[in-house]
Amino acid sequence: MRARFVAVIVASLLAVMAAAPAAWAQNSLVVSVWGGNWKDTVEKVVGRAFTAKTGMPVEFEVGGTIDRLAKARVAKGNPLVDLNFTTTHVARLYISDGLYEKLDMAKIPNAKEIAPEAIRSEFHLGTWAYVYTVVYRPDLIKEDITRWSDLWKPSLKGKIALPDFDPSHIITIAALMEGGNEMTWQKGEAKLKQLKESIAAFYSTDAQSQDLMKTGQAPVQVMLSVNAYHLQEQGIAVKVVQPADYPGIVGIDTLGIMAGTKKSDAAHQFINLALSREIQSELVKALRAGPVNLGAVVPANLKGQPGIFTTAAEWKSRGYIMNDDARGKTLPAWREWFTANIVKK
Amino acid sequence: MRLLLTPAFVVLAVFGAALAALFRWSLLEFVPGSLQTGGLTLANFRAVLAGQYVDAVRDTVVLSALTTGLTLVLAYPVAYALARTPSRRARSALLVLTLAPFFTGAIVRTYAWVLVLGNTVVTWPVPMLFTERGVLVGLVHFSMPTMILILAAALSHIDPVYERAAASLGASPARVFRRVTLPLSMPGIVSGCLIVFAWTLSAFPTPELLGGGKVKMIANVVKDLGLDSFNWPGAAAFAMLALVLTLALLMGLGRLAGRQAA
Repeated sequence: MRARFVAVIVASLLAVMAAAPAAWAQNSLVVSVWGGNWKDTVEKVVGRAFTAKTGMPVEFEVGGTIDRLAKARVAKGNPLVDLNFTTTHVARLYISDGLYEKLDMAKIPNAKEIAPEAIRSEFHLGTWAYVYTVVYRPDLIKEDITRWSDLWKPSLKGKIALPDFDPSHIITIAALMEGGNEMTWQKGEAKLKQLKESIAAFYSTDAQSQDLMKTGQAPVQVMLSVNAYHLQEQGIAVKVVQPADYPGIVGIDTLGIMAGTKKSDAAHQFINLALSREIQSELVKALRAGPVNLGAVVPANLKGQPGIFTTAAEWKSRGYIMNDDARGKTLPAWREWFTANIVKK
Repeated sequence: MRLLLTPAFVVLAVFGAALAALFRWSLLEFVPGSLQTGGLTLANFRAVLAGQYVDAVRDTVVLSALTTGLTLVLAYPVAYALARTPSRRARSALLVLTLAPFFTGAIVRTYAWVLVLGNTVVTWPVPMLFTERGVLVGLVHFSMPTMILILAAALSHIDPVYERAAASLGASPARVFRRVTLPLSMPGIVSGCLIVFAWTLSAFPTPELLGGGKVKMIANVVKDLGLDSFNWPGAAAFAMLALVLTLALLMGLGRLAGRQAA
């Protein structure tokens, strides 16, 4: 009798433990975001403030850009997450597949304060910005690099690293140098081919990029400004160039609400909070990324730095924003051309 | 008896379903800038027969063959020592050294090679990091423990009496090795080579990290197509082609090795 009683108690406890995560998820807002510093910052800066304001806990699903996209696709119509952080051109894939719901801008009043460039579509809004620009280690490179065109100097042969997962930045820059843009990218093909001998390595992840810089294997890179500032914090003396000839290529990370979520109102509230002046000011400090809210307070040491735009004029003059649609549609062709002509021996 | 085979059939069904899904994806039209796919097409197979993809297949086969050969040559003496050293302590030490890389993980091991090959620890006379040479070193190191264990198992099954008999009849140590030990260890050599060749064909982290994006093997190209270009049908088509090629190569090698061993 006693044994049976104990078994019932144990079974009940196990049932409660098994059901607890599901119940927790039902009562909380689930946000999909990249891991590491991105998740930590969003949790600390936005998540806690959201819970304090609404009483609703925030849970996170972390993963790479494409892992999360694949999961979202599998769960289409019955999403496992309510909100999603991703880059603006990848968000286009979510939208084209019907994975995002249309935003109700009346529920996001703070969107009125953000730069027009951050309003990416009626489905997704920018939350912070950065640039891909030239970054180098002055202790290993004895000449000043001040322009994109400096990358083509013979003295930098075998010293440069570029991202190979997305060559759109350097392709666009080469096209701009030859009088074209991302739509007429073929104009820069010959120019880009001249850079081939200078490339030491191609990186696939942010971590690889930072390792190549730390070890000095590739002391000059087309690099994400956020990663460069992170290296500076770690004591690696890297210089983030504000190119004098053409601006850095802007990247915008965005938030969208998953179609089919049952917590659409809470998701709108989360976005509204993320775009508020106070939270944007905190995000700038934590991520070293540019705020999208033009009223956000930017620390003096970051003002004017590459990727940090504080006025509407700076958004226009200090960064080049590619057309999302063209980027999404042309990326496979760019990668194919880049692999065949630049990566291939 | 049939009931006992049920779990095996279930596992086979799951694997078969995954392969069927992959095959279905490979026949769907890729729409750039969208996750939606078009109708059925063979265009993906035509596209992945382009020069750069064929080069990646060729490089993979060459690197796999070189890795297998080098691993065999380097692993054989270690395996021989492991199987024949009379000292139990020395055998244990060798076994620990052989198994140690298994416990460090592929990524950590490969990152260690990034430092070693990148002129931060030693200065190499020729560039090693981000070249085929560097990738080859990483692949050989990755494959050594498995090859050593397989060869040591095969060598330990050879009765030393045969070698002693050959020596007592006047054969030099080199001749004993060539005419007795080596032929008798052939089953281990064949197994080890097939396993190393097969898994090197699907190597991913080693060429990804040590190749610096310049050395592309089959798995890297699949990742590039699927995860970076969002071209899932293209990635599926390339994976299917690579799978067929790998199976054909392994069957051919298996037959050849079987004939030689007989």
